[in-house]
Amino acid sequence: MSKPSSFSLRGRKALVAVKDERDTWIVKRQFERLGVDSIAWTLSETIDFVPDVALIDDEFLPLARPAQRVFHGRCPVIALLGTETPSRLKLVLDLDPASFLVKPLRSAGIYAALVMAFERNERTSELKQQVAKLEQRLRSRRIVLAAVLQVMHSHSLAEPAAFALIRRSAMEQRKTIEELSAEITARGSLPRATG
Amino acid sequence: MTKPFIPVGIVCSQSGHYQAMGREILKSALMAVDEINGAADFDFSIAAHVRDPRGIIAEYHTVCDDLIRNVGVEHIVGCYTSSSRKQVLPIVERTDRLLWYPARYEGFECSDNVIYVGASPNHNVLPLVRYVLDNLSREFFCVGSNYVWTWETNRVTRELVSSAGGHILAERLLELGEGAVEHIVDEIVRKRPPIVFNTLVGSSSYDFIRAFHAATEAAGLDIPMLSCSLCEPELAIVGPASAGCITSSAYFESIRLPENRAFVARWKARYGDDSSPSVDGQSAYVAVYLLARALQRAGTSNIGEVRRAAAGHRYNSPQGPVWIDGSNNHCVLTPRLAVSNPHRQFDIFWEADAPVKPDPYLTQLDVAASPSRETPTSETSPNAPHLRVVK
Repeated sequence: MSKPSSFSLRGRKALVAVKDERDTWIVKRQFERLGVDSIAWTLSETIDFVPDVALIDDEFLPLARPAQRVFHGRCPVIALLGTETPSRLKLVLDLDPASFLVKPLRSAGIYAALVMAFERNERTSELKQQVAKLEQRLRSRRIVLAAVLQVMHSHSLAEPAAFALIRRSAMEQRKTIEELSAEITARGSLPRATG
Repeated sequence: MTKPFIPVGIVCSQSGHYQAMGREILKSALMAVDEINGAADFDFSIAAHVRDPRGIIAEYHTVCDDLIRNVGVEHIVGCYTSSSRKQVLPIVERTDRLLWYPARYEGFECSDNVIYVGASPNHNVLPLVRYVLDNLSREFFCVGSNYVWTWETNRVTRELVSSAGGHILAERLLELGEGAVEHIVDEIVRKRPPIVFNTLVGSSSYDFIRAFHAATEAAGLDIPMLSCSLCEPELAIVGPASAGCITSSAYFESIRLPENRAFVARWKARYGDDSSPSVDGQSAYVAVYLLARALQRAGTSNIGEVRRAAAGHRYNSPQGPVWIDGSNNHCVLTPRLAVSNPHRQFDIFWEADAPVKPDPYLTQLDVAASPSRETPTSETSPNAPHLRVVK
Protein backbone atom coordinates (compact mmCIF):
# COMPACT_ATOMS: atom_id res chain seq x y z
CA MET A 1 0.00 0.00 0.00
CA SER A 2 1.37 3.42 -0.87
CA LYS A 3 2.09 5.87 1.94
CA PRO A 4 -0.35 8.75 2.32
CA SER A 5 0.80 12.06 0.91
CA SER A 6 1.89 14.62 3.50
CA PHE A 7 -0.61 17.00 1.90
CA SER A 8 -3.53 14.67 2.51
CA LEU A 9 -4.72 14.95 6.10
CA ARG A 10 -8.16 13.36 6.04
CA GLY A 11 -8.56 10.63 8.66
CA ARG A 12 -5.31 11.36 10.52
CA LYS A 13 -5.48 11.24 14.34
CA ALA A 14 -4.00 14.10 16.34
CA LEU A 15 -3.27 14.19 20.03
CA VAL A 16 -3.92 17.76 21.15
CA ALA A 17 -2.56 19.13 24.42
CA VAL A 18 -3.35 22.85 24.38
CA LYS A 19 -3.92 24.88 27.53
CA ASP A 20 -5.76 28.00 26.40
CA GLU A 21 -9.45 27.53 25.60
CA ARG A 22 -9.45 29.84 22.60
CA ASP A 23 -6.39 28.16 21.09
CA THR A 24 -8.02 24.76 21.70
CA TRP A 25 -11.14 25.92 19.88
CA ILE A 26 -9.14 27.26 16.91
CA VAL A 27 -7.20 23.98 16.61
CA LYS A 28 -10.35 21.88 16.88
CA ARG A 29 -12.21 23.93 14.26
CA GLN A 30 -9.31 24.01 11.80
CA PHE A 31 -8.70 20.26 12.24
CA GLU A 32 -12.37 19.63 11.44
CA ARG A 33 -11.99 21.66 8.25
CA LEU A 34 -8.93 19.61 7.33
CA GLY A 35 -10.56 16.25 8.11
CA VAL A 36 -8.18 15.57 11.03
CA ASP A 37 -9.59 13.78 14.11
CA SER A 38 -8.42 15.64 17.19
CA ILE A 39 -8.27 13.99 20.59
CA ALA A 40 -7.90 16.45 23.46
CA TRP A 41 -5.33 15.40 26.03
CA THR A 42 -4.75 16.92 29.45
CA LEU A 43 -1.61 14.83 30.09
CA SER A 44 -3.24 13.06 33.00
CA GLU A 45 -5.06 10.40 30.94
CA THR A 46 -3.39 7.28 29.61
CA ILE A 47 -3.10 7.16 25.83
CA ASP A 48 -4.25 3.82 24.42
CA PHE A 49 -3.60 4.54 20.75
CA VAL A 50 -0.74 5.73 18.56
CA PRO A 51 -1.52 9.19 17.22
CA ASP A 52 -0.41 10.30 13.75
CA VAL A 53 0.73 13.63 15.17
CA ALA A 54 0.92 15.31 18.59
CA LEU A 55 0.34 19.00 19.22
CA ILE A 56 1.99 19.98 22.50
CA ASP A 57 1.64 23.36 24.20
CA ASP A 58 4.95 24.56 25.68
CA GLU A 59 3.08 25.43 28.87
CA PHE A 60 2.91 21.71 29.63
CA LEU A 61 6.67 21.28 29.44
CA PRO A 62 8.68 19.55 30.71
CA LEU A 63 6.82 16.25 30.39
CA ALA A 64 8.09 14.74 33.62
CA ARG A 65 6.30 11.39 33.82
CA PRO A 66 7.18 8.61 31.31
CA ALA A 67 3.45 8.15 30.59
CA GLN A 68 3.36 11.70 29.30
CA ARG A 69 6.10 10.95 26.79
CA VAL A 70 4.46 7.83 25.41
CA PHE A 71 3.92 9.43 21.97
CA HIS A 72 7.54 10.54 21.80
CA GLY A 73 9.43 8.95 18.93
CA ARG A 74 6.25 7.32 17.63
CA CYS A 75 4.75 10.28 15.81
CA PRO A 76 5.81 13.78 14.72
CA VAL A 77 5.39 16.53 17.29
CA ILE A 78 4.22 20.09 16.63
CA ALA A 79 5.25 22.45 19.41
CA LEU A 80 3.03 25.39 20.37
CA LEU A 81 5.29 28.26 21.37
CA GLY A 82 4.11 30.90 23.80
CA THR A 83 7.50 32.48 24.26
CA GLU A 84 10.78 32.43 22.36
CA THR A 85 13.03 32.54 25.41
CA PRO A 86 15.99 30.12 25.16
CA SER A 87 14.98 28.39 28.42
CA ARG A 88 11.57 27.50 26.97
CA LEU A 89 13.01 26.61 23.56
CA LYS A 90 15.41 24.21 25.26
CA LEU A 91 12.44 22.33 26.72
CA VAL A 92 10.69 22.38 23.36
CA LEU A 93 13.79 20.98 21.63
CA ASP A 94 13.70 18.00 24.02
CA LEU A 95 10.49 17.03 22.22
CA ASP A 96 12.41 17.00 18.91
CA PRO A 97 9.55 18.88 17.21
CA ALA A 98 9.01 18.37 13.50
CA SER A 99 7.21 21.70 13.23
CA PHE A 100 5.90 24.53 15.39
CA LEU A 101 3.14 27.12 15.75
CA VAL A 102 3.21 30.41 17.62
CA LYS A 103 0.48 31.42 20.07
CA PRO A 104 -2.02 33.03 19.95
CA LEU A 105 -3.12 30.69 17.22
CA ARG A 106 -5.02 31.61 14.06
CA SER A 107 -6.32 29.26 11.42
CA ALA A 108 -3.59 30.32 8.96
CA GLY A 109 -0.45 28.26 9.50
CA ILE A 110 -2.01 25.14 10.99
CA TYR A 111 -2.26 23.29 7.68
CA ALA A 112 1.35 24.19 6.81
CA ALA A 113 2.57 23.09 10.27
CA LEU A 114 0.84 19.71 9.87
CA VAL A 115 2.14 19.14 6.33
CA MET A 116 5.67 20.07 7.38
CA ALA A 117 5.49 17.79 10.43
CA PHE A 118 4.36 14.80 8.36
CA GLU A 119 6.89 15.48 5.63
CA ARG A 120 9.73 16.05 8.12
CA ASN A 121 8.81 12.83 9.90
CA GLU A 122 8.73 10.92 6.62
CA ARG A 123 12.11 12.25 5.51
CA THR A 124 13.66 11.64 8.94
CA SER A 125 12.49 8.03 9.03
CA GLU A 126 13.86 7.51 5.49
CA LEU A 127 17.19 8.96 6.63
CA LYS A 128 17.18 6.73 9.74
CA GLN A 129 16.59 3.65 7.58
CA GLN A 130 19.37 4.70 5.26
CA VAL A 131 21.77 5.28 8.18
CA ALA A 132 20.91 1.87 9.68
CA LYS A 133 21.57 0.22 6.31
CA LEU A 134 24.89 1.99 5.92
CA GLU A 135 25.93 1.12 9.47
CA GLN A 136 25.14 -2.53 8.79
CA ARG A 137 27.23 -2.44 5.62
CA LEU A 138 30.05 -0.72 7.48
CA ARG A 139 30.02 -3.45 10.14
CA SER A 140 30.12 -6.18 7.51
CA ARG A 141 33.11 -4.58 5.72
CA ARG A 142 35.41 -6.29 8.23
CA ILE A 143 33.92 -9.68 7.33
CA VAL A 144 34.21 -8.96 3.60
CA LEU A 145 37.86 -7.95 4.06
CA ALA A 146 38.55 -11.15 6.03
CA ALA A 147 36.88 -13.24 3.30
CA VAL A 148 38.87 -11.51 0.54
CA LEU A 149 42.14 -12.21 2.40
CA GLN A 150 41.11 -15.85 2.84
CA VAL A 151 40.30 -16.29 -0.88
CA MET A 152 43.54 -14.48 -1.87
CA HIS A 153 45.46 -16.97 0.24
CA SER A 154 43.54 -20.15 -0.72
CA HIS A 155 43.33 -19.37 -4.46
CA SER A 156 46.60 -17.47 -4.84
CA LEU A 157 44.79 -14.46 -6.25
CA ALA A 158 45.40 -10.73 -6.11
CA GLU A 159 42.87 -8.65 -4.12
CA PRO A 160 40.77 -7.41 -7.10
CA ALA A 161 40.46 -10.94 -8.52
CA ALA A 162 39.58 -12.40 -5.10
CA PHE A 163 36.85 -9.80 -4.61
CA ALA A 164 35.55 -10.40 -8.16
CA LEU A 165 35.36 -14.14 -7.44
CA ILE A 166 33.39 -13.56 -4.23
CA ARG A 167 31.06 -11.19 -5.99
CA ARG A 168 30.46 -13.61 -8.88
CA SER A 169 29.86 -16.51 -6.46
CA ALA A 170 27.45 -14.37 -4.42
CA MET A 171 25.49 -13.54 -7.57
CA GLU A 172 25.40 -17.19 -8.64
CA GLN A 173 24.15 -18.24 -5.21
CA ARG A 174 21.73 -15.31 -4.98
CA LYS A 175 23.29 -14.03 -1.79
CA THR A 176 24.69 -10.68 -0.77
CA ILE A 177 28.47 -10.27 -0.73
CA GLU A 178 28.22 -9.79 3.04
CA GLU A 179 26.30 -13.07 3.53
CA LEU A 180 28.74 -15.07 1.41
CA SER A 181 31.71 -13.45 3.15
CA ALA A 182 30.31 -14.54 6.51
CA GLU A 183 30.09 -18.14 5.18
CA ILE A 184 33.66 -18.01 3.81
CA THR A 185 35.09 -16.82 7.11
CA ALA A 186 33.05 -19.45 9.00
CA ARG A 187 34.01 -22.37 6.70
CA GLY A 188 37.51 -21.28 5.88
CA SER A 189 36.89 -21.71 2.15
CA LEU A 190 34.70 -20.52 -0.69
CA PRO A 191 31.47 -22.55 -0.65
CA ARG A 192 30.51 -24.21 -3.92
CA ALA A 193 27.35 -23.22 -5.64
CA THR A 194 24.57 -25.78 -5.36
CA GLY A 195 22.01 -26.69 -7.97
CA MET B 1 -38.36 58.43 7.16
CA THR B 2 -34.77 58.32 5.91
CA LYS B 3 -33.06 54.99 6.37
CA PRO B 4 -29.76 54.96 8.25
CA PHE B 5 -26.65 54.45 6.10
CA ILE B 6 -24.18 51.64 6.67
CA PRO B 7 -20.78 52.43 5.10
CA VAL B 8 -19.34 49.60 2.96
CA GLY B 9 -15.99 49.71 1.19
CA ILE B 10 -15.74 48.51 -2.41
CA VAL B 11 -12.15 47.82 -3.47
CA CYS B 12 -11.41 46.90 -7.08
CA SER B 13 -8.80 48.04 -9.55
CA GLN B 14 -10.05 50.17 -12.43
CA SER B 15 -6.67 50.17 -14.18
CA GLY B 16 -3.74 47.75 -14.45
CA HIS B 17 -3.47 44.23 -15.92
CA TYR B 18 -6.86 42.99 -14.74
CA GLN B 19 -8.77 46.27 -14.98
CA ALA B 20 -11.50 44.64 -17.07
CA MET B 21 -12.43 42.29 -14.23
CA GLY B 22 -12.11 45.07 -11.65
CA ARG B 23 -14.58 47.16 -13.63
CA GLU B 24 -17.02 44.25 -13.88
CA ILE B 25 -16.83 43.72 -10.11
CA LEU B 26 -17.48 47.41 -9.49
CA LYS B 27 -20.40 47.58 -11.93
CA SER B 28 -22.10 44.55 -10.36
CA ALA B 29 -21.46 45.63 -6.77
CA LEU B 30 -22.89 49.11 -7.43
CA MET B 31 -25.91 47.61 -9.16
CA ALA B 32 -26.59 45.49 -6.06
CA VAL B 33 -26.12 48.53 -3.79
CA ASP B 34 -28.61 50.57 -5.79
CA GLU B 35 -31.16 47.73 -5.80
CA ILE B 36 -30.82 47.23 -2.06
CA ASN B 37 -31.09 50.95 -1.38
CA GLY B 38 -34.29 51.09 -3.42
CA ALA B 39 -35.88 48.01 -1.85
CA ALA B 40 -38.36 48.07 1.00
CA ASP B 41 -36.94 44.77 2.31
CA PHE B 42 -34.01 46.50 3.98
CA ASP B 43 -34.37 48.98 6.83
CA PHE B 44 -31.01 50.58 6.03
CA SER B 45 -29.14 51.92 3.00
CA ILE B 46 -25.63 51.06 1.97
CA ALA B 47 -23.19 53.95 1.51
CA ALA B 48 -20.69 52.58 -1.00
CA HIS B 49 -17.15 53.96 -0.62
CA VAL B 50 -15.29 52.94 -3.77
CA ARG B 51 -11.51 52.73 -3.81
CA ASP B 52 -9.25 51.98 -6.81
CA PRO B 53 -5.87 50.36 -6.00
CA ARG B 54 -5.00 50.63 -9.75
CA GLY B 55 -3.70 47.07 -9.87
CA ILE B 56 -0.80 48.02 -7.56
CA ILE B 57 -0.49 45.39 -4.85
CA ALA B 58 0.73 47.72 -2.07
CA GLU B 59 -2.20 50.06 -2.76
CA TYR B 60 -4.70 47.47 -1.54
CA HIS B 61 -3.39 47.78 2.00
CA THR B 62 -3.36 51.58 1.74
CA VAL B 63 -6.94 51.94 0.52
CA CYS B 64 -8.29 49.45 3.07
CA ASP B 65 -6.41 51.24 5.84
CA ASP B 66 -8.09 54.47 4.70
CA LEU B 67 -11.53 52.85 4.56
CA ILE B 68 -11.18 51.38 8.04
CA ARG B 69 -9.48 54.31 9.81
CA ASN B 70 -11.04 57.31 8.09
CA VAL B 71 -14.42 56.09 6.83
CA GLY B 72 -15.05 53.57 9.59
CA VAL B 73 -16.24 50.69 7.41
CA GLU B 74 -16.68 47.28 9.01
CA HIS B 75 -17.31 45.50 5.72
CA ILE B 76 -15.31 45.60 2.49
CA VAL B 77 -16.36 43.94 -0.77
CA GLY B 78 -13.62 43.40 -3.30
CA CYS B 79 -10.16 42.20 -4.35
CA TYR B 80 -9.72 40.04 -7.44
CA THR B 81 -6.32 38.32 -7.34
CA SER B 82 -5.09 36.22 -4.42
CA SER B 83 -2.08 38.48 -3.98
CA SER B 84 -4.40 41.46 -3.43
CA ARG B 85 -6.48 39.47 -0.91
CA LYS B 86 -3.29 38.49 0.94
CA GLN B 87 -2.41 42.20 1.20
CA VAL B 88 -5.76 43.03 2.76
CA LEU B 89 -5.86 40.01 5.09
CA PRO B 90 -3.51 41.36 7.84
CA ILE B 91 -5.38 44.63 8.19
CA VAL B 92 -8.89 43.12 8.29
CA GLU B 93 -7.71 40.51 10.81
CA ARG B 94 -5.91 43.07 12.99
CA THR B 95 -8.87 45.46 13.04
CA ASP B 96 -11.50 42.69 13.04
CA ARG B 97 -13.28 43.72 9.84
CA LEU B 98 -14.92 41.47 7.25
CA LEU B 99 -13.75 41.17 3.63
CA TRP B 100 -16.39 39.82 1.21
CA TYR B 101 -14.18 38.30 -1.49
CA PRO B 102 -16.05 37.64 -4.76
CA ALA B 103 -13.44 35.88 -6.94
CA ARG B 104 -12.94 32.15 -7.39
CA TYR B 105 -9.57 31.23 -5.94
CA GLU B 106 -7.15 28.35 -5.33
CA GLY B 107 -8.21 27.57 -1.72
CA PHE B 108 -5.99 26.63 1.24
CA GLU B 109 -7.07 29.61 3.30
CA CYS B 110 -9.80 30.08 5.87
CA SER B 111 -9.78 33.38 7.70
CA ASP B 112 -12.50 34.37 10.17
CA ASN B 113 -12.33 37.83 8.61
CA VAL B 114 -13.10 36.79 5.05
CA ILE B 115 -16.30 35.51 3.46
CA TYR B 116 -15.23 33.63 0.33
CA VAL B 117 -18.16 34.09 -2.07
CA GLY B 118 -16.46 32.78 -5.23
CA ALA B 119 -15.80 29.18 -6.18
CA SER B 120 -13.43 26.94 -4.18
CA PRO B 121 -11.02 24.60 -6.02
CA ASN B 122 -13.45 21.68 -5.76
CA HIS B 123 -16.01 23.83 -7.60
CA ASN B 124 -13.90 24.75 -10.62
CA VAL B 125 -10.63 22.86 -11.23
CA LEU B 126 -11.87 19.43 -10.20
CA PRO B 127 -14.96 19.13 -12.43
CA LEU B 128 -13.05 20.51 -15.41
CA VAL B 129 -10.04 18.19 -15.15
CA ARG B 130 -12.25 15.19 -14.34
CA TYR B 131 -14.36 15.91 -17.43
CA VAL B 132 -11.33 16.17 -19.70
CA LEU B 133 -9.76 13.00 -18.29
CA ASP B 134 -13.01 11.08 -18.78
CA ASN B 135 -13.86 12.43 -22.22
CA LEU B 136 -10.99 14.09 -24.06
CA SER B 137 -7.41 13.42 -23.09
CA ARG B 138 -4.92 12.41 -20.43
CA GLU B 139 -2.20 14.70 -21.74
CA PHE B 140 -2.25 18.39 -20.81
CA PHE B 141 -0.17 21.37 -21.90
CA CYS B 142 -0.45 24.02 -19.15
CA VAL B 143 0.15 27.74 -19.64
CA GLY B 144 -0.53 30.26 -16.90
CA SER B 145 0.38 33.46 -15.10
CA ASN B 146 3.27 33.09 -12.69
CA TYR B 147 1.41 33.41 -9.39
CA VAL B 148 -0.39 31.35 -6.77
CA TRP B 149 -3.60 30.70 -8.77
CA THR B 150 -1.67 28.97 -11.56
CA TRP B 151 0.77 27.21 -9.24
CA GLU B 152 -1.96 25.56 -7.21
CA THR B 153 -4.27 24.86 -10.18
CA ASN B 154 -1.36 23.16 -11.95
CA ARG B 155 -0.49 21.19 -8.80
CA VAL B 156 -4.04 19.79 -8.52
CA THR B 157 -4.17 19.13 -12.27
CA ARG B 158 -0.85 17.30 -12.16
CA GLU B 159 -2.01 15.07 -9.28
CA LEU B 160 -5.28 14.18 -11.02
CA VAL B 161 -3.65 13.64 -14.41
CA SER B 162 -0.76 11.55 -13.04
CA SER B 163 -3.15 9.46 -10.98
CA ALA B 164 -5.17 8.74 -14.14
CA GLY B 165 -1.99 7.56 -15.89
CA GLY B 166 -1.68 10.74 -17.95
CA HIS B 167 1.07 13.33 -18.39
CA ILE B 168 1.61 17.05 -18.11
CA LEU B 169 3.43 17.67 -21.38
CA ALA B 170 4.60 21.15 -20.38
CA GLU B 171 4.03 23.83 -17.79
CA ARG B 172 4.77 27.32 -19.11
CA LEU B 173 4.49 30.44 -16.94
CA LEU B 174 4.33 34.13 -17.90
CA GLU B 175 4.66 37.10 -15.58
CA LEU B 176 1.38 38.95 -14.88
CA GLY B 177 0.68 41.32 -17.75
CA GLU B 178 3.31 39.73 -20.05
CA GLY B 179 2.19 39.92 -23.66
CA ALA B 180 5.03 38.07 -25.41
CA VAL B 181 3.27 34.75 -25.94
CA GLU B 182 4.55 33.72 -29.38
CA HIS B 183 7.26 31.33 -28.12
CA ILE B 184 4.65 29.34 -26.18
CA VAL B 185 2.23 29.30 -29.10
CA ASP B 186 5.09 28.10 -31.37
CA GLU B 187 5.85 25.31 -28.93
CA ILE B 188 2.19 24.26 -28.86
CA VAL B 189 2.02 24.14 -32.66
CA ARG B 190 5.25 22.12 -32.70
CA LYS B 191 4.22 19.66 -29.98
CA ARG B 192 0.53 19.42 -30.93
CA PRO B 193 -0.80 18.60 -27.44
CA PRO B 194 -4.35 17.21 -27.29
CA ILE B 195 -5.38 19.85 -24.67
CA VAL B 196 -4.16 23.29 -23.60
CA PHE B 197 -5.08 24.42 -20.07
CA ASN B 198 -4.98 28.23 -19.88
CA THR B 199 -4.67 29.76 -16.39
CA LEU B 200 -3.37 33.11 -17.63
CA VAL B 201 -5.21 36.14 -16.31
CA GLY B 202 -6.09 39.49 -17.83
CA SER B 203 -4.32 40.89 -20.87
CA SER B 204 -1.83 37.97 -21.05
CA SER B 205 -4.74 35.60 -21.51
CA TYR B 206 -6.35 37.73 -24.22
CA ASP B 207 -3.04 37.98 -26.15
CA PHE B 208 -2.47 34.26 -25.78
CA ILE B 209 -5.95 33.20 -26.93
CA ARG B 210 -5.71 35.39 -30.06
CA ALA B 211 -2.20 34.15 -30.95
CA PHE B 212 -3.13 30.54 -30.18
CA HIS B 213 -6.23 30.71 -32.35
CA ALA B 214 -4.37 32.27 -35.29
CA ALA B 215 -1.44 29.81 -35.11
CA THR B 216 -3.49 26.64 -34.68
CA GLU B 217 -5.87 27.69 -37.46
CA ALA B 218 -2.93 28.36 -39.79
CA ALA B 219 -1.46 24.95 -38.92
CA GLY B 220 -4.81 23.21 -39.43
CA LEU B 221 -4.90 22.10 -35.77
CA ASP B 222 -7.97 21.70 -33.59
CA ILE B 223 -6.73 21.81 -30.00
CA PRO B 224 -9.35 22.43 -27.30
CA MET B 225 -8.48 25.05 -24.70
CA LEU B 226 -9.56 24.89 -21.05
CA SER B 227 -10.16 27.73 -18.61
CA CYS B 228 -11.41 28.21 -15.07
CA SER B 229 -11.79 31.97 -15.39
CA LEU B 230 -12.90 33.03 -18.87
CA CYS B 231 -16.16 35.03 -18.82
CA GLU B 232 -18.52 36.79 -21.24
CA PRO B 233 -16.97 40.29 -21.11
CA GLU B 234 -13.60 38.69 -21.88
CA LEU B 235 -15.08 36.86 -24.88
CA ALA B 236 -16.04 40.30 -26.18
CA ILE B 237 -12.53 41.68 -25.52
CA VAL B 238 -10.77 38.74 -27.20
CA GLY B 239 -13.12 38.63 -30.18
CA PRO B 240 -13.89 35.66 -32.48
CA ALA B 241 -10.75 33.79 -31.34
CA SER B 242 -12.42 33.14 -27.98
CA ALA B 243 -14.93 30.61 -29.34
CA GLY B 244 -14.55 26.95 -28.40
CA CYS B 245 -13.00 27.32 -24.95
CA ILE B 246 -14.19 24.73 -22.41
CA THR B 247 -14.77 26.70 -19.23
CA SER B 248 -15.56 25.81 -15.64
CA SER B 249 -17.55 28.35 -13.67
CA ALA B 250 -20.39 28.78 -11.19
CA TYR B 251 -21.96 31.48 -13.35
CA PHE B 252 -22.72 31.95 -17.03
CA GLU B 253 -25.08 34.52 -18.51
CA SER B 254 -26.87 31.65 -20.23
CA ILE B 255 -28.08 29.98 -17.00
CA ARG B 256 -31.76 29.28 -17.46
CA LEU B 257 -33.14 30.33 -14.11
CA PRO B 258 -35.82 32.99 -13.59
CA GLU B 259 -33.54 34.80 -11.11
CA ASN B 260 -30.81 34.97 -13.75
CA ARG B 261 -33.13 36.09 -16.54
CA ALA B 262 -34.34 38.94 -14.34
CA PHE B 263 -30.76 39.78 -13.31
CA VAL B 264 -29.53 39.87 -16.92
CA ALA B 265 -32.49 42.03 -17.94
CA ARG B 266 -31.73 44.54 -15.16
CA TRP B 267 -28.03 44.43 -16.08
CA LYS B 268 -28.69 45.19 -19.74
CA ALA B 269 -31.16 47.94 -18.86
CA ARG B 270 -28.43 49.55 -16.75
CA TYR B 271 -25.28 48.91 -18.78
CA GLY B 272 -26.58 48.41 -22.32
CA ASP B 273 -27.84 45.53 -24.46
CA ASP B 274 -24.34 44.89 -25.74
CA SER B 275 -22.81 44.27 -22.31
CA SER B 276 -22.78 41.04 -20.30
CA PRO B 277 -22.34 40.28 -16.61
CA SER B 278 -19.29 38.19 -15.66
CA VAL B 279 -18.77 35.40 -13.13
CA ASP B 280 -16.72 37.56 -10.77
CA GLY B 281 -19.07 40.51 -11.27
CA GLN B 282 -22.12 38.39 -10.56
CA SER B 283 -20.27 37.05 -7.53
CA ALA B 284 -19.68 40.62 -6.30
CA TYR B 285 -23.43 41.23 -6.77
CA VAL B 286 -24.12 38.07 -4.72
CA ALA B 287 -21.59 39.19 -2.09
CA VAL B 288 -23.33 42.55 -1.60
CA TYR B 289 -26.71 40.81 -1.33
CA LEU B 290 -25.39 38.21 1.13
CA LEU B 291 -23.91 41.06 3.19
CA ALA B 292 -27.13 43.12 3.09
CA ARG B 293 -29.31 40.14 4.01
CA ALA B 294 -26.97 39.25 6.88
CA LEU B 295 -26.97 42.88 8.07
CA GLN B 296 -30.77 42.85 8.00
CA ARG B 297 -30.98 39.57 9.92
CA ALA B 298 -28.33 40.57 12.44
CA GLY B 299 -29.76 44.03 13.04
CA THR B 300 -26.22 45.31 13.51
CA SER B 301 -23.07 45.71 11.40
CA ASN B 302 -20.95 43.99 14.07
CA ILE B 303 -18.93 41.46 12.14
CA GLY B 304 -19.39 38.53 14.51
CA GLU B 305 -23.17 38.94 14.41
CA VAL B 306 -23.18 39.46 10.64
CA ARG B 307 -21.00 36.39 10.05
CA ARG B 308 -23.34 34.26 12.16
CA ALA B 309 -26.38 35.69 10.36
CA ALA B 310 -24.83 34.92 6.95
CA ALA B 311 -24.04 31.27 7.74
CA GLY B 312 -26.46 28.81 6.23
CA HIS B 313 -28.81 31.51 4.99
CA ARG B 314 -29.96 30.48 1.52
CA TYR B 315 -30.20 33.11 -1.20
CA ASN B 316 -31.71 32.36 -4.62
CA SER B 317 -29.14 34.30 -6.59
CA PRO B 318 -28.74 34.64 -10.39
CA GLN B 319 -26.41 31.62 -10.36
CA GLY B 320 -28.92 29.58 -8.34
CA PRO B 321 -29.21 28.88 -4.62
CA VAL B 322 -26.11 29.82 -2.62
CA TRP B 323 -25.31 30.02 1.07
CA ILE B 324 -22.28 30.42 3.30
CA ASP B 325 -20.96 27.28 4.94
CA GLY B 326 -20.52 28.40 8.55
CA SER B 327 -17.76 25.86 9.17
CA ASN B 328 -15.33 27.48 6.74
CA ASN B 329 -16.84 30.83 5.56
CA HIS B 330 -16.88 29.66 1.93
CA CYS B 331 -19.86 29.61 -0.39
CA VAL B 332 -21.95 26.55 -1.27
CA LEU B 333 -22.66 26.83 -5.00
CA THR B 334 -23.29 24.89 -8.19
CA PRO B 335 -20.34 24.08 -10.50
CA ARG B 336 -20.95 24.19 -14.25
CA LEU B 337 -19.04 23.43 -17.46
CA ALA B 338 -19.67 25.23 -20.72
CA VAL B 339 -18.08 25.92 -24.08
CA SER B 340 -17.78 29.44 -25.48
CA ASN B 341 -19.61 30.08 -28.76
CA PRO B 342 -19.03 32.65 -31.54
CA HIS B 343 -21.83 34.84 -30.11
CA ARG B 344 -19.77 35.80 -27.02
CA GLN B 345 -21.82 33.45 -24.86
CA PHE B 346 -21.33 30.04 -23.25
CA ASP B 347 -23.29 26.88 -24.03
CA ILE B 348 -23.62 25.03 -20.71
CA PHE B 349 -23.30 21.27 -21.16
CA TRP B 350 -22.91 19.99 -17.58
CA GLU B 351 -23.79 21.11 -14.11
CA ALA B 352 -23.77 19.51 -10.65
CA ASP B 353 -27.18 18.18 -9.72
CA ALA B 354 -27.21 20.19 -6.46
CA PRO B 355 -25.16 22.94 -4.82
CA VAL B 356 -21.80 21.58 -3.72
CA LYS B 357 -20.24 22.15 -0.31
CA PRO B 358 -16.97 24.11 -0.52
CA ASP B 359 -13.81 22.13 0.20
CA PRO B 360 -11.10 24.83 0.36
CA TYR B 361 -8.42 22.39 1.58
CA LEU B 362 -9.51 19.63 -0.83
CA THR B 363 -9.78 17.25 2.12
CA GLN B 364 -12.41 15.19 0.29
CA LEU B 365 -10.28 14.82 -2.82
CA ASP B 366 -9.15 11.31 -3.57
CA VAL B 367 -6.97 11.69 -6.64
CA ALA B 368 -7.13 7.99 -7.41
CA ALA B 369 -10.92 7.85 -7.22
CA SER B 370 -13.47 8.54 -9.87
CA PRO B 371 -15.77 11.46 -8.97
CA SER B 372 -18.49 9.09 -7.80
CA ARG B 373 -16.14 7.61 -5.20
CA GLU B 374 -15.27 10.90 -3.60
CA THR B 375 -16.70 11.37 -0.12
CA PRO B 376 -20.20 12.81 -0.37
CA THR B 377 -21.12 15.92 1.59
CA SER B 378 -23.93 15.94 4.09
CA GLU B 379 -25.39 19.41 3.50
CA THR B 380 -25.83 18.91 -0.18
CA SER B 381 -26.89 16.16 -2.50
CA PRO B 382 -25.12 12.85 -1.81
CA ASN B 383 -24.43 12.81 -5.52
CA ALA B 384 -23.04 16.31 -5.54
CA PRO B 385 -19.79 15.48 -7.37
CA HIS B 386 -21.77 13.89 -10.21
CA LEU B 387 -22.42 16.06 -13.18
CA ARG B 388 -25.54 16.02 -15.28
CA VAL B 389 -26.10 17.12 -18.82
CA VAL B 390 -27.93 20.43 -19.20
CA LYS B 391 -30.20 20.58 -22.21
